[in-house]
Amino acid sequence: MTDSYLYPIVALLPLTACILVFQVNPYHALVIRGILGAVAALVYAVLGAADVALTEALVGTMLAITLYAVAVRSSLVMRLGVLESASATSLDVSQSAQPQLEQWLDNLRTLLIKHHLRLELVNYPDRQRLHQALKDQDVHAICTPLEAESLENQAIAADSPIYCTTIRIPRLYDILQSELSSSHLTPSARLAQFEEVSL
Amino acid sequence: MNVILIAMILALLIPIYEACQDEDIWQKMLAFASVATKTSMMILVVSVLRDDWMIGVVGVIILSVGNAALMLLAHILKRLNQL
Repeated sequence: MTDSYLYPIVALLPLTACILVFQVNPYHALVIRGILGAVAALVYAVLGAADVALTEALVGTMLAITLYAVAVRSSLVMRLGVLESASATSLDVSQSAQPQLEQWLDNLRTLLIKHHLRLELVNYPDRQRLHQALKDQDVHAICTPLEAESLENQAIAADSPIYCTTIRIPRLYDILQSELSSSHLTPSARLAQFEEVSL
Repeated sequence: MNVILIAMILALLIPIYEACQDEDIWQKMLAFASVATKTSMMILVVSVLRDDWMIGVVGVIILSVGNAALMLLAHILKRLNQL
């Protein structure tokens, strides 16, 4: 146990642990966790604990990373409900509506990527089911074109439909509100917070 | 013989530094692949030096399991970019 190569090998463990702690992106942290697991298995094997090294490689490196990757992937997501007609059919509507919706979704994606979130679109056939899905907590937010009578200025609504994004989760609303107010992005979209009607 | 191991430890520092400073996730995966293979090779070298077959068998298993974990993680990351 007085081999001279033991000390640098053991010193690798705190080094990789420090790198792991300073990661910001969760996926990058997972990959570094794999590196930490490999180095830990090396240290355990060199120190003579072969069974511990095997367990670290099997559980710590393979199982834990895979399960955590699935968990991070399914939790760091914003599910946005959209109307099917807005993204697919009805020619005269899609001619004017689709570029704006696409632009708004692109803006939303770039805003969310800053916070390591992913945007997942869920299509619904009509407006009623969209609102029902928001109430049932199937989606985190919905994006609907505002109806003409609810707009203050109907002349604007005729050629450019304004999209209203209703967000159910307060923290998500705060993040997007602060990002939108600081970056002066598209005025064609507005945010609204969904308030639960207590019965 | 210690010189070989010291050289391998120095070689191990290269992918660790690369994983530390690179922003692309696939570069980090490459560094992870490099580290996983290098550490298991070091376990094999140590087992030959000490003439210890128990550590040798564990080194072989870690060599294969590390690549399996890499493949699983790469598939999940690839599906992440598709959606």
